Amino acid sequence: VLERNNVTVHGVPDGRPLMFAHGFGCDQTMWRFVWPAFSDEYRIVLFDHVGYGGSDVSAFDPGRYASLDGYASDVVAICDELELEEIVFVGHSVSAMIGVLAANQRPERFGRLILIGPSPRYMDDAGYVGGFSEEDVKSLLESLDSNYLGWSSAMAPVIVGNPDRPELGEELTNSFCRADPEIAATFARATFLADNRRDLEQVPVPSLVLQCSEDVIAPLPVGEYVNDRLPDSRLVVLRATGHCPNLSAPEETVSAIKQFLAA
Amino acid sequence: VSIPDELLDESAEDLFENAPCGYLTTSLDGTIVRVNRSFEELTGRSRAELFGTRFQELLSRGGSIYYETHVAPLLRMQGSVREIAVEMPRPDGSTLPALANSVVRYDEAGQPRAIRTTVFDASDRRRYEQELLKARRREQEVALELQRGLLAGALQAGKEIEVGVAYRPADTGIQVGGDWYDAFWLEPDETLAIVVGDVVGRGLRAAATMGQLRSALRALASTGLEPGALLEALSEFARRHEVGQMATVAYAEIDVRLGSMRYACAGHPPPAVVDPAAGARFASDGRSPPLDAYEHWVDRPQGTCRLAPAATIVLYSDGLIERRHRPLQDGLDELLVTIDRLRDETPDTIASSLADSVARGPDARDDVCVLALRWRPDAH
Repeated sequence: VLERNNVTVHGVPDGRPLMFAHGFGCDQTMWRFVWPAFSDEYRIVLFDHVGYGGSDVSAFDPGRYASLDGYASDVVAICDELELEEIVFVGHSVSAMIGVLAANQRPERFGRLILIGPSPRYMDDAGYVGGFSEEDVKSLLESLDSNYLGWSSAMAPVIVGNPDRPELGEELTNSFCRADPEIAATFARATFLADNRRDLEQVPVPSLVLQCSEDVIAPLPVGEYVNDRLPDSRLVVLRATGHCPNLSAPEETVSAIKQFLAA
Repeated sequence: VSIPDELLDESAEDLFENAPCGYLTTSLDGTIVRVNRSFEELTGRSRAELFGTRFQELLSRGGSIYYETHVAPLLRMQGSVREIAVEMPRPDGSTLPALANSVVRYDEAGQPRAIRTTVFDASDRRRYEQELLKARRREQEVALELQRGLLAGALQAGKEIEVGVAYRPADTGIQVGGDWYDAFWLEPDETLAIVVGDVVGRGLRAAATMGQLRSALRALASTGLEPGALLEALSEFARRHEVGQMATVAYAEIDVRLGSMRYACAGHPPPAVVDPAAGARFASDGRSPPLDAYEHWVDRPQGTCRLAPAATIVLYSDGLIERRHRPLQDGLDELLVTIDRLRDETPDTIASSLADSVARGPDARDDVCVLALRWRPDAH
């Protein structure tokens, strides 16, 4: 399990576990400006979803990963394997909902959830505005297609086989956010077609919703919806814009997380 | 070398404004603060319109999602991106397919300050790339259809025989492989032949090869050759017609009246036989090299074994047992344990459970093909 998801552990070995889960698109490198701020107090657990970063790509099963439950089961498996308890789970983007599913599956292991740019459903529905239409998802799949021509048969084995060989440097440009086109499409469908609105109501632990200003992927009304449905939660709207405050505004993100954990 | 004066006189402003690509500067969140004339022309928008707009807002919806989930993070992590394919809808309703390169500008303290982006018209390139993608998908579909067509109708059961098969093509994104299975009566209600084979290579060529070997094997089997000699005759066919070199085949004939099996394997992993009382084991005799592995005649032995009533025979392709980072023997051992655990299930369930027990990664090189047969002498 630890190899499959390229789990890396830092910080205080017997500290409270602080687990970071990257969203759709990139890998655990997403957290590199954030986790060091917690490493003198917490046991930091980072990992890659299967298909991304340094994970074992051969473990990718299109059936298992066709829905977010497959990714959530991986999170649970990591927590079980490391025997983590009272976990503070930080999930970015789609991994916010993956954390919700994992916490519902294994409530006894989780202490708190921090959801950065969460959306329980990206597609619009009767009485619900997620911000996405079917056309949008199709357009994304096309965009993924046209951006993976670089994933040529000559490059794929290099990328898959040598995730941690920096000497391949130039060749591996974009490697933080690179995946096999079929895997990326499967994850995109699992993400943008998911409906996890009902799962919010069962979340057994206190949660923090970190909402960016002007996020086209998870707009403010969606963050407010998540905050309303969670049994015990607070909403913090960051000054940061875009969808990745963990990269664009790490200080603001860190301080919001610290305030929540101190409360 | 003399350089004409007017070339040396080009101003930086002119080089910028009329560069052979769109050129823009944005703040870190993508808000456009400067563009050149070429960018105005490419996008069909004036700079007055463009200032204050975010670059990602000029992209198709999918492109803007891609920008937020891939490009923006990459710019933060590695300071540049290149060859990003984007579609930019224009005010006149047309769409510009473009390639974008970006670099982050840092201040003296190393803090990121702005993003410079160049945009190139990639209309022709994108059209051609889409044709290539389409052609590749079409080839996969054709090969898959061909393979399905060849495999259709292969299954023949009888009143004393129950057959189940499962076939999982090497995963999407890679061409179909060359596994095949077959089951046909040599003598109606007396002797049934079952086959699982694997040809080298993939795609259309592999599917065509598989079809030829399958037909040849059926034709040769009807001449009354025994299993070992039959496989050598098939090997000779492969050699003479240069088709299917190094293909592997497991072949077995079941005498449904006597409850016996004769079998031979050319370079193929051994059949598993499950005795309802004694459990699962491999039928390990009758082993010889793959088809057309040598230029000379190969003596191919065969094995025989008795079947207990309700015994199950399992033929499979090596995709079922081969894994990266694992010795082959471990795969075989594990397979036997799994088969034994499934022994009370129907042949259909056995075949599909076995096939599904393999995690199908996109780097799964092989198809997985499983054929399970149960002999039920008292079924009628």
